[in-house]
Amino acid sequence: MLLGIPDPQILIGYGLAIGLALACIVYGILNWNKGGSKDGS
Amino acid sequence: MAVNPITMAALVLIYLAATLIIGYMGYKKTKNTEDYLVAGRDSHPVIIALSYGATFISTSAIIGFGGQAANLGMGLIWLTVLNIGLGILLAFVLFGKKTREIGQRLSAVTFPDLMCKLYKSPLLQYIAGFIIVISMPLYTAAILIGGARFIEPTLGISYSTSLILFALITAVYVVFGGLIAVMYTDAFQGTIMLIGMTVLLALTLVAVGGFTAGTTALTNMASLVPKALADQGMTGWTSMPVLGSPIWFTLVTTIVLGVGIGVLAQPQLVVRFMTAKDNRSLNRAILIGGPFILMMTGVAFTVGALSNVYFYQASGKIAIDAAGGNVDAIVPLFINGAMPDIFVIIFMLTLLAAAMSTLSALYHAMGTALICDLWGRGKECALSMRAHQYGIVLMMVVSTVLAFLLPVSIIARATAMFMGLCACAFLPAFAVGVYAKVPSTKAALYSMVAGAVIWFLWTAFFHAAEAKPLGICQAIFGKVTLLGSPWTAVDPIVIALPISMVVMVLMQWQSGKQQPSAVTG
Repeated sequence: MLLGIPDPQILIGYGLAIGLALACIVYGILNWNKGGSKDGS
Repeated sequence: MAVNPITMAALVLIYLAATLIIGYMGYKKTKNTEDYLVAGRDSHPVIIALSYGATFISTSAIIGFGGQAANLGMGLIWLTVLNIGLGILLAFVLFGKKTREIGQRLSAVTFPDLMCKLYKSPLLQYIAGFIIVISMPLYTAAILIGGARFIEPTLGISYSTSLILFALITAVYVVFGGLIAVMYTDAFQGTIMLIGMTVLLALTLVAVGGFTAGTTALTNMASLVPKALADQGMTGWTSMPVLGSPIWFTLVTTIVLGVGIGVLAQPQLVVRFMTAKDNRSLNRAILIGGPFILMMTGVAFTVGALSNVYFYQASGKIAIDAAGGNVDAIVPLFINGAMPDIFVIIFMLTLLAAAMSTLSALYHAMGTALICDLWGRGKECALSMRAHQYGIVLMMVVSTVLAFLLPVSIIARATAMFMGLCACAFLPAFAVGVYAKVPSTKAALYSMVAGAVIWFLWTAFFHAAEAKPLGICQAIFGKVTLLGSPWTAVDPIVIALPISMVVMVLMQWQSGKQQPSAVTG
């Protein structure tokens, strides 16, 4: 039983929620300067 | 409430004054109609992210769904997965950038206006505007009632006065400052929400002895699940319900899918994309948007579920019993019982901020839909700032009257109903519209009408949660719903959205075959 939670479906849910929030941060950093007005978008 | 009422009232008044001052700053920056309708298409990424997030998250997300997590358990975390994955990442990356580019190129100023220009069809603008003007006041009334219920005990004034005061204060800065004032105040309110939810998580973890200690205690409480819920498939607060059981259908279809997908085509959120200067602003907004939503719904659902541990240790009761069977009372009761007085005030301000940020966005979206897309369409007043101000005031009055008139049982379902209808009616046409090179007007029309009609039929005749309070099925057929379990627990979005999508895709494909040059992509 990981983190006191017996059901892997709940653990996967938490993992995905935190992972997707981190993915938003990584996406924002990697694309920080992309798509500016000068890029013609 | 143990909090000193004078301190509480003073802080609420300071918060309201700060909101109005920030709204005034927005008013001073509003020089023309484009400023009023789409914030001059030059919003800062932080403002976009916080405004989108604060509009997205209303009081019901924290109180209502937090209470649901206390009742049904941590399975609600899957709604957070969809909130971030679909509501932020997919929404911004797939739809946001395209919406911004097209909105800027075609000078679209509202969601129905965007649909009209994408499909070159005023009829679509009328239909989208009509759906917004008809359905959004219901959702708005629900937010108004939630806010008034908070203001009533806090400021010690009557419920009616609270409701009218709440409606008027929010309307003042929306009417005068337009979308710039709305987004500035959203950012302020979003910051308060972020602080409030962060402190709530920290204090809850302290109260239950840490995350693992709390979840272990919660796991050990599985035998305390009420018999009525256990009979319907609930297995505990740290495990999913039995696959295919009524509770599983409610959790997965109504709560996770219904609300999770429903957020994708909400007009008041789509407009936020059109306020960005360039795609870089949206890229940067994603960085803040994802963690913001995690700290809102992720925290609300975790705290809601863990509140069972607190209540059991404090009173020997599970959360729903401690709250007298009222799901909406669980989170406020937990805050009042487990948190220091000063945090009770911070959390109450968090709730007020959540309600006001959503309410202001709805006022703006309804008023602009009424003027720009329905009454003023094709006329000069479609882009008149004064006409939009009248439109917002009118829709504010309609929503306030609805809040007084409609039965609570329908209002309680309003959030889910509005989100479901938006997704079923708008999502397929919106998605194809921004991506197809030659989108088919006929396909969009049939898809929107099919989505809205089937959503309504399933809502009124099959889904018990809405069919029962609406009473239409009972009046016509003499029974609450036409089918039995498990269909009564299947959310309308699960039926209507796939049909709306199939209609859109098939008709768009057929239209592409008839015009060989019309390549979609």
